[in-house]
Amino acid sequence: MAKTPVTFTLNDAEAALFVDPGAALVDVLRRGAGDLTPKQGCAQGTCGACTVLIDGVPHLSCLTLAETVQGRHVETTSGLAGGPDLHPLQKAFIEGFAAQCGFCTSGMLMAAKSLLDQTPDPTRDQVIEAISGNLCRCTGYEPIVDAILTAAAEMQGRPAQQGVR
Amino acid sequence: MVEVQTCQTMAEAAASLGEGARYLGGGTIVMRQVNYGDQSFHRIVRALQPERGVRGDVQGLRIGAGTTMADLLASSEVRFLHPVARQIGGPAIRNMATLGGNLFAQNPYGDLAVALLALDAQVVMSGGQAQPMERFLAERGHLRGLVEAVSLPRPQPGTFYFRKVSRVKPKGVSVMSLAGCLRSGDPRVVFGNMGPAPTRARAAERALAGGLSEAAISAACSVCTEGLAPADDALASAWYRREVAAVHLRRMLDSGASD
Amino acid sequence: MTIHKGRGFACINYPIGMNLGGDPSQALVHSTPDGKFMVALSSIDLGQGMKSVTRQIASETLGVPVEDVYVDTADSDTGPHCMGSFASRGTHRVGNAVIRAAAEARKQMMEAAAEELEVNASDLDTDGAGNIHVKGAPGRSITVAETAIAAQFKQGRTLSGRGIFLVPPNEADPDTGDMTPVTCFAHAALVVDLEVDDETGEVEVTEINSAYEVGRALNPKLVEQQLIGGAWMGVSHALYETTEPYYPQRDHGPEDFNTYLQPGPGQIVPHHVAVLERPAEDAPFGGKGPGEMCANPVLPAVANAVYNAVGVRCDQLPITPEKVLKGIRANGGARPQGIR
Repeated sequence: MAKTPVTFTLNDAEAALFVDPGAALVDVLRRGAGDLTPKQGCAQGTCGACTVLIDGVPHLSCLTLAETVQGRHVETTSGLAGGPDLHPLQKAFIEGFAAQCGFCTSGMLMAAKSLLDQTPDPTRDQVIEAISGNLCRCTGYEPIVDAILTAAAEMQGRPAQQGVR
Repeated sequence: MVEVQTCQTMAEAAASLGEGARYLGGGTIVMRQVNYGDQSFHRIVRALQPERGVRGDVQGLRIGAGTTMADLLASSEVRFLHPVARQIGGPAIRNMATLGGNLFAQNPYGDLAVALLALDAQVVMSGGQAQPMERFLAERGHLRGLVEAVSLPRPQPGTFYFRKVSRVKPKGVSVMSLAGCLRSGDPRVVFGNMGPAPTRARAAERALAGGLSEAAISAACSVCTEGLAPADDALASAWYRREVAAVHLRRMLDSGASD
Repeated sequence: MTIHKGRGFACINYPIGMNLGGDPSQALVHSTPDGKFMVALSSIDLGQGMKSVTRQIASETLGVPVEDVYVDTADSDTGPHCMGSFASRGTHRVGNAVIRAAAEARKQMMEAAAEELEVNASDLDTDGAGNIHVKGAPGRSITVAETAIAAQFKQGRTLSGRGIFLVPPNEADPDTGDMTPVTCFAHAALVVDLEVDDETGEVEVTEINSAYEVGRALNPKLVEQQLIGGAWMGVSHALYETTEPYYPQRDHGPEDFNTYLQPGPGQIVPHHVAVLERPAEDAPFGGKGPGEMCANPVLPAVANAVYNAVGVRCDQLPITPEKVLKGIRANGGARPQGIR
């Protein structure tokens, strides 16, 4: 069956790919564009590991028909760091031990980035809401919530808030 | 492998549907089926310009089938629906899931459809013909055509109630969901995941017809499961659902209107 | 409606490793020509920190900076044998194998350095910063990198080591059943506070307090991370997770992560952990590791707390709202067990 040409912006670069009919964006990003940061967890829309931003807002790339991103801007975790400089969220996740197996981390980071883009100084409840579609099996969520608040504080230039404990 | 057919308008998409075809809205239902190799269809039809957004006039409100949960949350016209849309999925799902899809979502999904039934919405098909939610829900399994929009009267302020019962917080699927549009004289009480489709609790409605007195609420609670047909699923048994339905109806009414 | 508060306690002695076949693990250590050290393991890191802890252990044993050590767990086909990442055995079994392998590699490194400095290897020491010097004369030194280059290109010597750790299998006494299946245990005590809604049977855990004795905490942040995340999993097992909700009937199993229930980020439980350190004699630098008991004591503590709150004794997991509600009905109402 004929492939469909799709061009879109992937982080800061133009991407032009031929996609299979019915292909999900996550497959095209991983196999076509070679960007392995979006993880395919459940392929059902229930785990959030494949979360990417499309035109700035979070989408599940496993449930996104790849050809629908024609002309749009897709952001993944590969685009977070500026060269060797990690994004404050990445730094906070590392320093706050917010990853164990790491499978949820990319999705968590993108959900968090979308939150901080729109709400630079979120409350704890807003952080919890922002990651409510992302499952983590290892951490119990608390280090992740703390890391996002820490990154927000750092980006705002003030000390981090206290954790729940 | 499926074939993808991209149309400009909903009318064109409706005309293209047929045997072995599925309409792709936000993707949360159909792409999941595609990913798992569902063999019941081999063609996806999508429209570049589905009706999307909320329009209000003196008659009431019209909400396009392509309106996402995030769109509802961004619209001040449908503030009463915000508590419903906010409790559906995480942010990514809300950016994708559409009203049209929710009308067809099977248990334990479909909380918005529960609300729309309580609000006496009409489902408008792409040909322009409209039918009440209740009839639509009864026929949705073997419906021909495409849903273009729903239209509904604006609820009187302070009459719309919603409660979603989920074990996972802040976001999980519904053990059951409840909606009420409690205008005096002709109230609506609807349960979700208490039957194959959202269902009106008619006995409870009758009990509340005279208003929300303590006696009326008690009477409504005592009869609220009449006519409901909950099933066992992974979230809870039919027994449990029947046992706690009245508890949640009372709590919904006690916590006040959500608009 | 009444919300009943309950408190439950549980404690645990948890064996480190297992008796099966002596539960061995191997490690191989070798240097690159520029003086970095590779540790090859088949002990897979699923996020518990195996790579971090074995890296620390190798660095400490070799006497080289931790950033000069790389742990490769990539392939259990080509790596040295390991029984696996389970049984709370990683830190103890694999750590001990790494110590042995690293000690052998260190011996070779010191001999190579001794040859370059024209001294006895026994007169040399490492400074942990990448240098090897004559004891008492820090000026007479050679870097680890120079040593590795000399070993590779001049001396024709590898700086490498092999390690295995095995506890000989212990047979049970046929008459008494007496045996010593493991060499050490880790210990914990845990208190769960929760609330039970007596109209719906819903249970929400509100606080966890725990004390864990894990030997020396080789990496305290990793230990804390394991204990916090593991307790979450314990709560999830106690109250939510099942693949067969109507067991022994197998119907209505969950089909996705929306119907396979686990607590969400809105249900983070404040958890205060006290880590007690009693280094174990046969453990690497005394570290036994937290392992599986991160989650285990949470389950009985939750069950006890539910009983304490409403007098319902659930002996099947998970303790669902339905089981609690049925128990309350069977008792003719909630029966709080303790007045506090």
